[in-house]
Amino acid sequence: MKTENNLYRESGNVVVRKWLCTLVAVLIGALFLFPLYWLFITSLKSDREIMAKTLTYFPKDIVFDAWKEQIKDPMFVNSLKNSAIIAVTAMCISLSLGIPAAYAMGRFQLPGQKLILLVFLVTQMMPSSLLLTPLYLTFAKVKLLNTYVAPAMAVASGSIPFIVITLRPYFMNLPKSLDEAARIDGCNAFTSFLYIMVPTIKTGIITVLAISFLHGWNDLTYSMTFNTNSDMRPLTANIYKFMDKYGMRWNCIMAYGLVLVVPVVTAFVFLQKYIVGGMTAGAIKE
Amino acid sequence: MKRRLKDRNSEGILFVLPALIYMIFMIGYPLIYNIILSFKNLDVKTFKGNTAIFVGLDNYKAILADEVFRKAFGNTVQYTVFCLLIQFTIGFIFALFFSKKFPLAGPIRGLLLVAYMMPMSVTALLGRNMFGVTEGVINDILLNLGMIQKPIEWLISSKTAIWSVIIANSWVGIPFNMLLLTTGLSNIPQDVYESASIDGANGIQKFFYMTLPLLKSSMLSVLMLGLIYTFKVFDLVYIMTSGGPVNSTEMLATYSYKLSFGQYKFSMGSASSVILFLCLFVVGIGYLRLTMNEEAN
Repeated sequence: MKTENNLYRESGNVVVRKWLCTLVAVLIGALFLFPLYWLFITSLKSDREIMAKTLTYFPKDIVFDAWKEQIKDPMFVNSLKNSAIIAVTAMCISLSLGIPAAYAMGRFQLPGQKLILLVFLVTQMMPSSLLLTPLYLTFAKVKLLNTYVAPAMAVASGSIPFIVITLRPYFMNLPKSLDEAARIDGCNAFTSFLYIMVPTIKTGIITVLAISFLHGWNDLTYSMTFNTNSDMRPLTANIYKFMDKYGMRWNCIMAYGLVLVVPVVTAFVFLQKYIVGGMTAGAIKE
Repeated sequence: MKRRLKDRNSEGILFVLPALIYMIFMIGYPLIYNIILSFKNLDVKTFKGNTAIFVGLDNYKAILADEVFRKAFGNTVQYTVFCLLIQFTIGFIFALFFSKKFPLAGPIRGLLLVAYMMPMSVTALLGRNMFGVTEGVINDILLNLGMIQKPIEWLISSKTAIWSVIIANSWVGIPFNMLLLTTGLSNIPQDVYESASIDGANGIQKFFYMTLPLLKSSMLSVLMLGLIYTFKVFDLVYIMTSGGPVNSTEMLATYSYKLSFGQYKFSMGSASSVILFLCLFVVGIGYLRLTMNEEAN
């Protein structure tokens, strides 16, 4: 039998061990977030500090020169606009095709259901380089090169399987009676889908909305290939152009990178719980 | 009743059909087009003159004899193997570590995922900066800690460039593996462990005789999924090194891209991406089997 004193000491040990774990975790966290910290503080350094021989781990004077310069750069503003338009277009295409498909796969016994699921799963494995040449030649024929639609369409072909795989379980888990109640209330398949089903699985919808936006926002390959005109390119595809322009002025280049990170961090801060759950379900990364 | 069921199923088809047609047009058709293209001789000349003809296996023969392609193939394998080793091992350790109950375990694990969600192009941009020889922070830290005597020529030397890319990718891959393995771990019922403790099993025994076998299917799917994503690497390499120096980081995807859109040898590029696809397909079949089995249950 343990004495009270022993018990006390043991729990004390456990507490120490727990805090040691926390300490290790904080160190791991610091290591993994260091690149983001570096991105941020480098963008706040002055040109002189960037060019100096010794590296500084915290800017001597925090200046917003690099940020101001970017905001005034018409090419930057234009690329930012292109990024936003491509991401939103891709998101709209993905959601309007993907959500109904997920609904059908989750709620109906479809003929060839397994085959259809297979089609969506196979597309996960496609390297984008496999699609580039055929799509480039097709888009060239129908005069879609150097438009927002071309990269958005290609990005959506990656997001749709993600949406189907992520949302299907949500639809499957809705009670059967929900359909029936909707039918009795005079809904047809379409209205019950739109007004009853979709609002009920709001969390799932938020996940796929954010992720399909980010797919478009993060895209490099398709935009770079289909939009040869740099005026039509998003931030990602114009990186080389900016690196040429700013050379070793890493403060400007990092300010540029920071803008690309903003939607990711925003989505992360506000939607972490949903997105992490959703990503695990779909296990997809573009 | 039966009739009504049938009706509703045909309604279901209407919901899935648009997406299906879209996927067939955007993925199925290009896939077939690409395979056909790889047997033709389409380049910038034959494209303009519209004179491309079938040349049989010529492109494949040429590409397999191509030094750069062989180099790219070797690089891709090296990159994939080491990325998987690093990200799986460390990701697994992190998943186990963060599944312990201690203060801040959840929030810190969540924060690690930011790395995974970053646009690859920014990761590459950061890589270019941080792996710099004199101005890079990684060399600076290593020098200050006395771990190296002189700066490492990370991206400049053809020996170390691929390792820089592997390290940069691990920054993304470790959280990704951790996330998927965490989900696998949380699906193991806790009472299994409790009854093992009562039977006198220690931590190591529990890990080898319970955690590992119970995690087998999630470990397999993480590895296969990781392999698929790593093998088709493009963004990171394209921006961080652009395949250089002297093709030392050239990958199958970046080389296909260069063939098609740098040199406008469309058919050669197609042949190269078909080979890339076949490699993925072999792994993919395993992954599909696993996923379809899970979906069926």
